[in-house]
Amino acid sequence: MIRKTKVSVKICVGTACFVQGGADLLLYQDFLDPVVLANCDIEGVSCIGGCKDDTLKTRPPYIQIDDKIYGEMTQDKMCALLSEVVHA
Amino acid sequence: MNNVFIDVDYAQIYKHGQKIGGDVFLLSRKPDSNQIVCTLSDGLGSGVKANVLASLTARMAHKLSFSDMDLTHSAKLIMNTLPVCKERKISYATFTIADLRHNSDEDVQVNLVEYDNPSALVFHGSEPEYWESEKIDLMREGAFKKEVLGRSHLNLTIGSRLLIFSDGVTQAGMGKALPLGWRLKGVRTYAQELIEQNPDISSHDLSYAIVQKAHTLDRLSAKDDITCMVVYVRKPRRTLVVTGPPFVPEHDQLLVEKIKQFEGKRIVSGGTTAQIVSRILGSPLKVDMKCWSPDVPPCSVMEGVDLVTEGMLTLSKVAVALEQKKSSLTLANDAVKKFIEVMQDSDQVHFIVGTKINEAHQDPNIPVEIGIRRTLIGRLRKALEEKYLKETSLEYM
Ligand code: FES
Repeated sequence: MIRKTKVSVKICVGTACFVQGGADLLLYQDFLDPVVLANCDIEGVSCIGGCKDDTLKTRPPYIQIDDKIYGEMTQDKMCALLSEVVHA
Repeated sequence: MNNVFIDVDYAQIYKHGQKIGGDVFLLSRKPDSNQIVCTLSDGLGSGVKANVLASLTARMAHKLSFSDMDLTHSAKLIMNTLPVCKERKISYATFTIADLRHNSDEDVQVNLVEYDNPSALVFHGSEPEYWESEKIDLMREGAFKKEVLGRSHLNLTIGSRLLIFSDGVTQAGMGKALPLGWRLKGVRTYAQELIEQNPDISSHDLSYAIVQKAHTLDRLSAKDDITCMVVYVRKPRRTLVVTGPPFVPEHDQLLVEKIKQFEGKRIVSGGTTAQIVSRILGSPLKVDMKCWSPDVPPCSVMEGVDLVTEGMLTLSKVAVALEQKKSSLTLANDAVKKFIEVMQDSDQVHFIVGTKINEAHQDPNIPVEIGIRRTLIGRLRKALEEKYLKETSLEYM
């Protein structure tokens, strides 16, 4: 099953995230599965706020999927997470 | 900062086959007294000998213009000093000195002294101005011919231009396409056409176009050195660079007011700052996912601001690019390139630096390369002033 509404994905392009691996995530066109890509609304955000939030127990780079913030993001983790959400 | 910007540039082509010019152009600016002196001298003949004559003349004329000495007296002094040509037993170099001064208002006063060069041209917009210069007979002892100086006081306002050139321009095409050469009238008409086509044409482009035209009239084999200098008085192009949130949030509003009221291009550099501006202006911030490179985070688009970039990384790359005077053509299509393009196109850059400390950068994992905002802006200003001769100013908030 594929979700009816598109998944909203925000990639942080703020300084802290960008230098700690966020730049790699911006290549999402290349590493994401086309089906996943087609079902996601991906945009950049200058600082999602994760870097200033002490309650989060993770580190940059951050992305936000729908309303949830995920830290220490990598290309692989992003692939896995998104295909999970898209195919849920 | 000045309300007037004086754009001076010149173009030159040497006589065919010569590796050195007999036309010499000098330019100095004295920023504290708002004085600019341009001198064009054409030495007898061409090549090295002419260059020596012209260099000497131009250099002296130049130095003397900055002194209090009367210009007629200066001219005599120059001619007495010039070495005498062995073959023709004369010492000779023509010259034009334009001494430009502007005070706090938008007028530029020009003191023009001409000796045997083609008469200078003045345009207000694309309209040529005609005037009579005061003639002064030098009556120098031992002169080999009658020496008459032309002296004029002119007034340039915003949109005016002054054109000075050597006889290589007015005599271009002589005996070929045009029996009497291009002549002053031809140059005037051509310059007028160019200004009509492009009212904001820079001095660089205008002088270049005139010299090229003269060269073509000479069928690309210049009969004499061809030199043209243009002074263009215009409104300065201004840019505002805002980086960093103000020290206290109460000043956010004030910062945005300053951005709104600024006349010229606006750059906001820094994610947090951009978010503040976006919130108060009520214009949404959209990240441009096409405009980035591995070292430089994407720029964003926001109505009311011409360029929105990330802060530290972008600014430090901009500083390096400016210091190395990199051409924007060689840069990747990212925020740094856009930033540099705006800088190159501005005459005056005003920086507003917010002094709030960014908690995100207290992280020990961030590379040391990310210096403090102030240091970066200091480097930017230094490079802009020293390498690009721009005016800059700074304000902390
Ligand atoms: S810079 Fe990415 S969350 Fe702040």
